[in-house]
Amino acid sequence: MRARKSLAVLRVLAAAAICAAFLFPFYIAVVNSLKTPLETARNALAPPGSFSLANFVTAARTIDFMRALLNSLIVTVSSVVLIVLSSSLCGYTLARHAKRSRALKALDKAFLASLMVPFQILMIPVYRIFKSIGLINNLLGMIIMLTGISVAFATFLYAGFVKSIPRELEEAAYLDGCGPYKTFFMIVFPLLKVTTATVASLHAMWLWNDFNISLILLQKESIRTITIKQFYFFSQYASDYNMAFAAAILSMIPILAFFLFAQKKMISGIVGGAMKG
Amino acid sequence: MKRRRSTKGLVDPSARAKYVFALPALTFFAVAIAIPFAAGINIAFTDWNGVAKSYHYVGFANFAKLAGDSRIVSPIRNTVLFSALGVVANNVLTLSLALLFDRMRGRLGDFCRLVVFIPCCLSGVLSAFIWKFIYRFVLSTVFGVPSPLGSVTFVIPAIVVISLWCSAGINMLIYYSALKNVPRELYEAALVDGAGAFTRFRRVTIPMIAPAFTICITLTFTNYLREFGNVMAATGGGPARASETISMYIFDNLYTYNKAGYGQAISFAFLVALTLIASAMTAFFRRREVEL
Repeated sequence: MRARKSLAVLRVLAAAAICAAFLFPFYIAVVNSLKTPLETARNALAPPGSFSLANFVTAARTIDFMRALLNSLIVTVSSVVLIVLSSSLCGYTLARHAKRSRALKALDKAFLASLMVPFQILMIPVYRIFKSIGLINNLLGMIIMLTGISVAFATFLYAGFVKSIPRELEEAAYLDGCGPYKTFFMIVFPLLKVTTATVASLHAMWLWNDFNISLILLQKESIRTITIKQFYFFSQYASDYNMAFAAAILSMIPILAFFLFAQKKMISGIVGGAMKG
Repeated sequence: MKRRRSTKGLVDPSARAKYVFALPALTFFAVAIAIPFAAGINIAFTDWNGVAKSYHYVGFANFAKLAGDSRIVSPIRNTVLFSALGVVANNVLTLSLALLFDRMRGRLGDFCRLVVFIPCCLSGVLSAFIWKFIYRFVLSTVFGVPSPLGSVTFVIPAIVVISLWCSAGINMLIYYSALKNVPRELYEAALVDGAGAFTRFRRVTIPMIAPAFTICITLTFTNYLREFGNVMAATGGGPARASETISMYIFDNLYTYNKAGYGQAISFAFLVALTLIASAMTAFFRRREVEL
């Protein structure tokens, strides 16, 4: 009995150590965002001598934070809406008709194969194609690209769920004279709510953090999203760590707030998606 | 006749609609993946420099060059080292975390899982930035050690640590949910048969969570092989190309060396290797899975 109790204590201690280790980088970021460069130079670990938000004010002004934030918001929200719409439609039709349609079966296979394609293979041709049609340095180009690389996975999440809902409702709607489009939007789409929440929250997080595509497509200063802006900002202001940390925290807030709000959906999406794949 | 047509419409009113439904997704997929992929095959056989409007077809010259390229040896070695180290460290860590948290049901367990997962929400750029600072200032003030990112020997393990911090949460969750689904009776039966803790782990837990191993190990390995953002933001390939990966070498061929055609040829060789490795690994682990 005593051995078991001490084992439990040991477990709690181990868990505490792990949590401390995973939270430590956040501590460093917060503490140093509140300090002056002199304080950081003296001791990077210590808490700030006085509480001042000066770094945050400078950071917001210097990196044109609002504009990058707005770019990120436009790109993420539009792409997520397009992903949800096109993937729910496609997942639905693949789940219902792929068995009997050779064309849809081929599409299903192509989507599956595309999950293995590394981004590096698309990097050079995407740059070339998007440049030739004027979609470089263009938020629309970014939205099209982000949606395009996400639809295959999102379609699988939807198709998996559609297979688990009975056809009777759709058939009843057809009998009542509903066309296929009306049936989808009035009957089927509302039933997919759970999957929509998972798809939307997962992609919101992934697309907000996208680095690869924005590095290729967004080369002009004014069009950059938060992640890519920071990439350049961090190398440019490599010496002013305190302001950089303030900027880092400012850009963490939206995504962390969103995560705490949507964590259940995201986690079930990650686990469910992995187990099915 | 007329009636028959209307009945047919009733049975399958979605004859055309089923293709229309696939159209939006197909269009996005075509523009972002299928067309660039096909165009990429074309580029791999040219000497396009990435900037000029015109280019020449060079046949298999890019692939022949690949075989004799001495500069590619170091990126290949770095990528393999980074991935091997990353896969082992990631899976050992995440499985241990999942085993620990599995024994801690309730609020405390929930909190711990949340804490480990939170860094996964940050971009690779952000986590690389925070860790660069930790390596440079915290390590030097507390331990008096120079940043491992500046050392040819330690730069890859140091990037692995960054990647563990910001990706461990995902595999931890997959292992955790696999552990949660192991029927308790199996442990009880093993206990009755006199199996010790280690035997139970070896003979019950490991076979029962085998599908999670397949997913986590294959997924982390291919992800590490493809990793770009984290390394790019942490070191940009330095010091002295010691952390330059295949992905970065492809990127540099386009933007720095102006050899887009050659870079594209590398990326196809890379895709072939990646597919072979992933399918070999999946087959290897699938064979070891048991069914109840």
